[in-house]
Amino acid sequence: MIEFKNVKKKYPANSLREEKMALDDVSFGIKQGEFVTLCGRSGAGKTTILKLISCEEKPSSGDVLFENQNICNIKRGETYSVRQKVGFIFQDYKLLPYKTVFENIAYALEAFDFNHEKIDEEVMQLVDLVGLGDKINCLPKELSGGEKQRVSIARALIHRPRVILADEPTGNLDPYHSRDIIKVLLKINEAGSTIVLSTHSKEIVNALKKRVITLEDGRIIRDEEKGRFFL
Amino acid sequence: MIKYIIKIFKSGWTNLKRQGFLTLTTSIVIFIAVVLGTALFLFQGGVSFLTDAIKEKIDVSIYFNEQVSREEILKIREEVVKLEEVNKVSYVSPEEAYENFVKTHQDDPYLESLKAIEINPFLPSLIIQTKEPSQYKVISEFFKREEYSSLVYEVDDYKRGTIIDRISAMSEGIKNIGIALTLFLSFVAITVTLNTLRVSIYSQREEIEIMRLVGAKNSFIRGPFLIQGAMCGLFAAIFCFIVFFLILFLLKTNLEKLFMGFDVFGFYQDNIITILLLQLLIGVGLGLISSFFAVRKYLKD
Repeated sequence: MIEFKNVKKKYPANSLREEKMALDDVSFGIKQGEFVTLCGRSGAGKTTILKLISCEEKPSSGDVLFENQNICNIKRGETYSVRQKVGFIFQDYKLLPYKTVFENIAYALEAFDFNHEKIDEEVMQLVDLVGLGDKINCLPKELSGGEKQRVSIARALIHRPRVILADEPTGNLDPYHSRDIIKVLLKINEAGSTIVLSTHSKEIVNALKKRVITLEDGRIIRDEEKGRFFL
Repeated sequence: MIKYIIKIFKSGWTNLKRQGFLTLTTSIVIFIAVVLGTALFLFQGGVSFLTDAIKEKIDVSIYFNEQVSREEILKIREEVVKLEEVNKVSYVSPEEAYENFVKTHQDDPYLESLKAIEINPFLPSLIIQTKEPSQYKVISEFFKREEYSSLVYEVDDYKRGTIIDRISAMSEGIKNIGIALTLFLSFVAITVTLNTLRVSIYSQREEIEIMRLVGAKNSFIRGPFLIQGAMCGLFAAIFCFIVFFLILFLLKTNLEKLFMGFDVFGFYQDNIITILLLQLLIGVGLGLISSFFAVRKYLKD
């Protein structure tokens, strides 16, 4: 489903930092329905991989294939076509501050020009799934961290994406809420969605018992099924 | 498509209501720009009133010899009217000239002397007004022709020439200052509005980023911002229209005195549709253009 072929990503030097090789000749594939954990220290290249999948960044060399389409050659202004197949979950939730829980979740469907009645139905189903039925009209500032992350998950799922990219989704949460979020992700994966999870939490990686790709200084140093936290 | 537009419109309206402070500050800045635009329009009206008034006062007098009859002068008048540079020609008889002098020199000691000699020293004349003050020379050249030399006593351009040139230059100068002021203030208004909106949209750059990551098309992201900008411009324009109307109405008399007889409120009323359209054009236009450019930066891949 997703394939990286000899991908290199170099960030040029600027006034704040020196030139940085974020990914150095990285190759791997992810099958439909897989749950893959990317782990590594900060700056290892985990987030860069997610950014390349979502067309936020373009590789310096090599190819990134998404459903057999080379997304490195995608035209400017058409990246939304890839993003509509992807669901994002972020460490800092990235909710729209002036939109309610309902509007935040519905936004993705509205952007895809879904039928309005269908949007209401779909959003209500997901709100119930993530247990936020009573917070539907709340603004993000009125929610706890765990609740915000659940909204973020609901938003990522609403358009039934082919793959969910989760970038440190438990980074800002306590262990109780972290377990809760991971449970939701596993449930989604069981329903057939591909999940790519980036984390540096040893507990989560070891508890998942799923495929683990370990990165160090932009290179893959380990890729194993039912892997464990290595670093 | 219509549903898509309605959706964008609703989203823009919702953002406008929820971001009250931002809406207020943006509207205030656009309001200032609309005020400048309206003031410049009124200023241009004042300038053309003033230049027209100056032009009205500029004329060339042709004095004819005493023995030239009224009929002969009126015949010459017919010829003069045919000149394309000529705007208006009036015949002034010696009697009318005497009456005019009496009216304008009520407390003058010369009036007493005039009355004492008991004759009318004034000559019949043609008062000629050209379309442009600078064209007075055409008239003097016309009357220097051989056929008129025995009829014309004096062409009063030697004394007025310098004054006419000065007034022409002054009226041209006022016009140029008006244009320069218009350009400068327009530039200030556009720069200030663009930068205010840029700052306000900069504070929302993360939201734009989220919208992009969620998979929204650029048009879907840009739309509500454009609606927000346009609505702020609309509020500013309507508010400016009302404020100007009230202020000009309340200060009508004072402003007329201040602007040498220029009835600003009357001018505002006469051009009410043009002014309203201008205000809407500046307000909504600035809101739309500034939002477009401010958002564009964050929509690049």
